[in-house]
Amino acid sequence: MLSFDLRLAAGDFELSAAAAVEGPAAVLGPSGAGKTTLLQAIAGLRRAEGTVVLDGEVLQDTARGVRLPPERRRLGWVPQHGLLFPHLSVRRNLLFGRRGRRRAGPPDGGGGPGPGARPGDFDALVEALELAPLLGRYPRSLSGGEARRVALGRALLARPRLLLLDEPTEGLDAERARRALGHVRRAAEVLETPFLVVTHKLDEALALAREVVLLEAGRVVAAGPAGEVLTRRGLPRGPHARRNANVVRGVVARHDPAAGISAVEIEGGGTVLVPYDASLAAGAPAVLAVDAEEVLVSVAEPAGLSARNVVAGEVESVEEYEGSVYVQAGGWTARLTPAAARELGLASGRRVWMAVKSHSWRVVAR
Amino acid sequence: MDPGLWRLVAFTVEVAAASTALVLVPGVLVAWALSRRGWPGRALVEALVTLPLVVPPTAVGLALLLLLGPAGPVGGWLRRTLGWEIAFTPAAVVLACAVVSLPLLVRQARSALEEVDPGLLGVARTLGRGPFATFVEVHAPLAWRGILAGAVLAFARALGEFGATVLVAGNIPGRTQTLATAIFQRVQVGREREALLLAGISAAIAFAILVGVELLTRGRERELAR
Repeated sequence: MLSFDLRLAAGDFELSAAAAVEGPAAVLGPSGAGKTTLLQAIAGLRRAEGTVVLDGEVLQDTARGVRLPPERRRLGWVPQHGLLFPHLSVRRNLLFGRRGRRRAGPPDGGGGPGPGARPGDFDALVEALELAPLLGRYPRSLSGGEARRVALGRALLARPRLLLLDEPTEGLDAERARRALGHVRRAAEVLETPFLVVTHKLDEALALAREVVLLEAGRVVAAGPAGEVLTRRGLPRGPHARRNANVVRGVVARHDPAAGISAVEIEGGGTVLVPYDASLAAGAPAVLAVDAEEVLVSVAEPAGLSARNVVAGEVESVEEYEGSVYVQAGGWTARLTPAAARELGLASGRRVWMAVKSHSWRVVAR
Repeated sequence: MDPGLWRLVAFTVEVAAASTALVLVPGVLVAWALSRRGWPGRALVEALVTLPLVVPPTAVGLALLLLLGPAGPVGGWLRRTLGWEIAFTPAAVVLACAVVSLPLLVRQARSALEEVDPGLLGVARTLGRGPFATFVEVHAPLAWRGILAGAVLAFARALGEFGATVLVAGNIPGRTQTLATAIFQRVQVGREREALLLAGISAAIAFAILVGVELLTRGRERELAR
């Protein structure tokens, strides 16, 4: 559990952010929201006032004069573009933190000792991150994706209590980004390290994290379980294009290649049909998202409709917010124009059907 | 080459090398301290270190003479406790060269250190390194070209040092005379051909050094461009 309450000012920008999260967690916000600044302040790399507490250990409490330097916080930092040491080979980059730990010994800052370096860590990580062919090379000859993998391994081999990841897929194309997220998950799993990732990509936050902190203009506007935070309406104005996503977690139940359909049984009951995807293994967990504007609302039971996902329910709430009407029913949120909402006569308690096309679902994690 | 001339060249190079060796570690450490922000007195230290660059070298020499002379606070103390004489000895030449060339090393090393991405230093910190270990293992190795260029500049400056040397070490042939002070002395006694030869030798050494710096700097630009 990481809790922080930090304040800092840099030029016009002011950060004043407080939240408590349990890894894996994500800080989600548009660029310029102060995500990187927040991460650096947590790591102790930027001077901020306030507190940082990790698993009960106070890393910083400026009111009481406590401010551990970064080398004693045992937080791993994976900066946006990796920032490998250009004068060291990939192998020596990877071992940089491990060597330091051994020399420095356990931190005398108190709290949990945390697992130390174990003999098998290096090999396990080299395998999980596919680093073997890179070990003898130097950073300048690596691609962006390779450099990030090395940076990830380097941070993990220092056995941090929490890994801080800054935009792990920024600048990578979709396929490489997907692989990069896989690497993050696998590597963190291999070394059993919780992480906090900052990103401006909703799908990335969902793919990696169960808890989400929404950051806008240096302030936390919402924090909590991902599904809850991202479907909450009435959040302060901000440039989150897709804050009204419907997010579900579930397990892949079955495939029907002939029908072109895969079924995902979602937590809390119900089934969602998505386009057939052979890469979804039956029985494997999956996270799905659909934006609120993709959800159709019908006041009559739909017939002859192509959408494969239809749930019936009573309208729980209708809220107008910044030119859109948000209707919640049957566990989904739909975003309508005020005209559409008026014409349908939507009001709390009214029976409606919510419909989503299979193709509107995004599989954000598997 | 006549042996006296050869000894003069060798002495000058030795003095410059000794002075560079003397300022290298403290100079780089001062450069490092100046490259780090947010400590009190930084502006004062910066001004002090730069001073020898902007005041006349003879003024520096005068200050050193007052400090190191037999009656000066440092010179007097050294004489009483250790029996050392500094003023008008080869050691005074080295010290004069060191003080005058220090700012060049510090400025060059500092700008090289400031060019290193602070993110890299942050990474080293999160990987368990304290500020000094980060400096030794990451910061200095990444700025080595600039530090080396600074050392070469300091060496070149020491080779040509005249004003401070003359005041605190004099111009004693065979004892404290360097190429620079020898040229002056030869001209004064009317041995202009000899002075011209010494000037030619000085120019040749300086040229070789400047070419060396140029090559280093170009290498650095290539490295940055990669």
